[in-house]
Amino acid sequence: MATNSAGVEYEAVSEPYVETENSVDNRKDVSDRLLKIHNVTSNRFWQFAALTGLMFALGIIGFILKVASGFDDKDVWGYYVAVFAFLMTTTAAAPMVAIAPRIANAHWRRPISRAAELWTVAGCLNLVLYIPLIWLLPSLENGRRSLWFYGQQASKDQFWTGFESVPAYSPHIWATLAIVSLVVLGLALVWLSCLPDFAVLRDQGTGWRQKWGRRLSLGWIGTTRQWNWQYHRMGIVSAFYFMMLIFVHFFISVEFLMVHVPGWIDSLYPITHAHNALQAGVATMMLTIFCLRQFGGYKDYIGLDQFWGLGKLLLALSLLWFWFWFSSFNLFWYAKKPSELSLLELLISGPYKIMFIAEFLLVFIIPWFSMIWNPVRRSVWGPAVIAVSVLLGTLLDRIRLYVASWDAASRDFVSMLEMEMHEVPEKIVTPAIADIFLIVGFIGGSIFIFMLASRLIPVMNIWEQKEFLLYKAEAQYHRAKVLVLGKPR
Amino acid sequence: MQEHTQLSQKQINDELLRDILTVPKWWLPAVVGLGILVATGLGAFSYMVYHGVGVTGLNRPVFWGFFIANFVFWIGISHAGIMISAILRLTQAEWRRPVTRAAEVMTVFSLIAALHTPLFHVGRPWRVLYWIFPYDFDRGIWPNIRSPFVWDPSAVGTYLIASSLFVFVCLLPDIAILRDRAKGLFVKRIYAFLCLGFRGTPRQWRLQTVAGILLSALVLPVFVSVHSIVSWDFAVLIGVEGWHSTIFAPYFIIGAIHSGVSAVAMLMALAVWLYKLDNYIKPDHFDAIARLLIVVATTWFFFFFLEWVYALYTLDSPEIALRELQAFQWPYGPLFAIFVILSFVIPVPIWLFKRFRRSAKIMFWTTILVNIGMWLERFLIIIPGLVRRTHMTFDWGTYHPSLVEILIVVETFAFVALGMLLFAKVLPLIPLFDVKEGMVFRHLIKVGRKTVPASIREGLPHHYYEKKH
Repeated sequence: MATNSAGVEYEAVSEPYVETENSVDNRKDVSDRLLKIHNVTSNRFWQFAALTGLMFALGIIGFILKVASGFDDKDVWGYYVAVFAFLMTTTAAAPMVAIAPRIANAHWRRPISRAAELWTVAGCLNLVLYIPLIWLLPSLENGRRSLWFYGQQASKDQFWTGFESVPAYSPHIWATLAIVSLVVLGLALVWLSCLPDFAVLRDQGTGWRQKWGRRLSLGWIGTTRQWNWQYHRMGIVSAFYFMMLIFVHFFISVEFLMVHVPGWIDSLYPITHAHNALQAGVATMMLTIFCLRQFGGYKDYIGLDQFWGLGKLLLALSLLWFWFWFSSFNLFWYAKKPSELSLLELLISGPYKIMFIAEFLLVFIIPWFSMIWNPVRRSVWGPAVIAVSVLLGTLLDRIRLYVASWDAASRDFVSMLEMEMHEVPEKIVTPAIADIFLIVGFIGGSIFIFMLASRLIPVMNIWEQKEFLLYKAEAQYHRAKVLVLGKPR
Repeated sequence: MQEHTQLSQKQINDELLRDILTVPKWWLPAVVGLGILVATGLGAFSYMVYHGVGVTGLNRPVFWGFFIANFVFWIGISHAGIMISAILRLTQAEWRRPVTRAAEVMTVFSLIAALHTPLFHVGRPWRVLYWIFPYDFDRGIWPNIRSPFVWDPSAVGTYLIASSLFVFVCLLPDIAILRDRAKGLFVKRIYAFLCLGFRGTPRQWRLQTVAGILLSALVLPVFVSVHSIVSWDFAVLIGVEGWHSTIFAPYFIIGAIHSGVSAVAMLMALAVWLYKLDNYIKPDHFDAIARLLIVVATTWFFFFFLEWVYALYTLDSPEIALRELQAFQWPYGPLFAIFVILSFVIPVPIWLFKRFRRSAKIMFWTTILVNIGMWLERFLIIIPGLVRRTHMTFDWGTYHPSLVEILIVVETFAFVALGMLLFAKVLPLIPLFDVKEGMVFRHLIKVGRKTVPASIREGLPHHYYEKKH
């Protein structure tokens, strides 16, 4: 009998207890099966890697052509910046699919978390792509608007005049630091997450994989102390990665985009840019796990639960896309300020109208009105097709915004501090052959790097799969068998 | 939840219905005290109707004062219900179970409190009929549907209806238990009428569950639209510096969630103290809500930072002059400092410590601080923007709230507290069926030498069980 706080006695009730499948044999079976898949590289894999490698080579040719044209004309570099922003939006955001559900203790992330983290390796390419942008970003001495308020002195007695001491190259310094930090944090996250799996490679692998595992596992033997250390470090690095991702999008959206269009003052846009990244990151992962399931041999591990989980996220993010977009659009359209109307003309109703409509359909209408149906979310093909739609739409979005802005910047550069564009470009900037090479090449390059990384690092998280055995059990509930999941923390 | 007390269904019924079927000693004095405050507020309102809005501190150029700041505050609090109930329900967060009902009910009462103030603000509340009917039938002059002041009542009204429906659907199984346990014939009949014949058949449970999930999902866009529209009351204007900012809609919503969830944490502490519900609301629940609050508060602070950065980014001297007024000049400067300290600087570092997060007392006081800060935030958004001196000297002025305004604002707080107390007297403030479901789902799993809490996973695709993944 148990007594409650009012002193009344009640019959004590015990909690039901269930057994897990966490036997040594089961755990070994998971390692063996996943290592077996990891160790085999099919011909199809190499064929596709060769194709993406070829695309990458085209990207490098495009880049050389671009550099040959010089850094003076801003509009020439619009597509380059757009593809850089697209990669920052997709590959740099994909790890959030591992980070966020891990923090929320969602077990469905286990088979896909490593693939999500592995995209941070492709972030090294983003870092390389960023280097020429340092020369393209105009100094604050040129009188452009900036987050750093350089050289603006309306009145000496105003409280913010201290900002005048900010160096003219502040945007260059802070954006570089942020992007380098993001890449370093991403690589640290992959390494921390891989430590136990490197130890598995060391103990069970052969040849170069064993040597690679020995070097990188740093004497991991799985003591309680090591597990606690890894868990806490992963938590810290994940939190910093997320914060840095938001900051990077904040910098990119302001210093590489908004400052180029006089009158574009939109306090919501950094959030919108970061949100686009989360949406595209989820879409990237949907497509990645589709490929891993269909062609990578992971059919037994990547199930409907993963597509369903990501599908729900994409549904919510698509609705948020509309809300963020409408929150800005509504204010601009309703208030009818001349500067904001010319911005709408540049980005929505003017030369880029068709691109905007296509993007609206691909990023909002199609995902929202299809993913709202459970049968679509709970399928394998549905989310994959919708992911392609979202990624295409995001690419169009980046082209529309960056190409249009850099085109406007080239015309209006001297009057950056003015509150309105003097001249809204009448025509779209059509891509040159070098631009097409850049777009195809660097998207292919990212995939190529991801594929190579997947040969070095198991693309399926072995230790998280084994950990799942600790927390997963089946129980009888009346006439049905149900899944019982442990929530350890 | 790591901490848990497995209870029998009988014990849950007995404990959670105890204060409905009997009267606690403190209940009547509390109701009378709050009733006096409500009556005083209504008296002040009657005085204002008789003498006109001149008895308030509103004057050119500040036509929006305490009433509108209070309106925005209560709309913010109303976001707690859907945040806690709908979002945590959809994400299957187990810790939500004992706190959903209180959050939903607070949503309904705070929406009614929010509607009070703009009605009072217009001076002659019967004129709100013009929001629905034409000014003049003969000439067919209808209200301008392009005005945010027409969107506002539509959105808030829709939210009130949806929230009330949500509360009612979630109450059905609990009202059925009350019907079966109530003693008086008249009371029994009322409960029998309200529970719509709920007997707990599999079909009724299925319908009730599906309705709850559907309402959770459908009310979410309404939840987002309400505060977005409230923010657009300000942001679509270009005439007042500091208001025309695209971030206003999400900034208002995240601020609303910050104050709303804080209010729920405060209610949880009160429920533990007043109703002795410590078998249901554990330190773990406070820990969970505090962690949610850390995320929400930090996000809110980032939005606040962006709002300020972009105000300075404009390099527009009137905008910068407004920011100086808000942050550095008397009397708004000290209020601004208090607002930032109370809503972020004090509570968030405290919540970083697990020991404090698990304490009902600390959570109670820190969340009260948050709500004082968030009330000031609304005040500082509205008043300094209007009070700022412009080139037109006849538009110079200042604003001091009158006693009438203060009494009416106090009345809204008393109204919500009174509403919650009356509700808790006739219906359970903790959902019995939800808590029982949590008990049924609860299992234990042995991991090494530790025993780990586990729960039945709901809503997986049916073929998940046919194939092993």
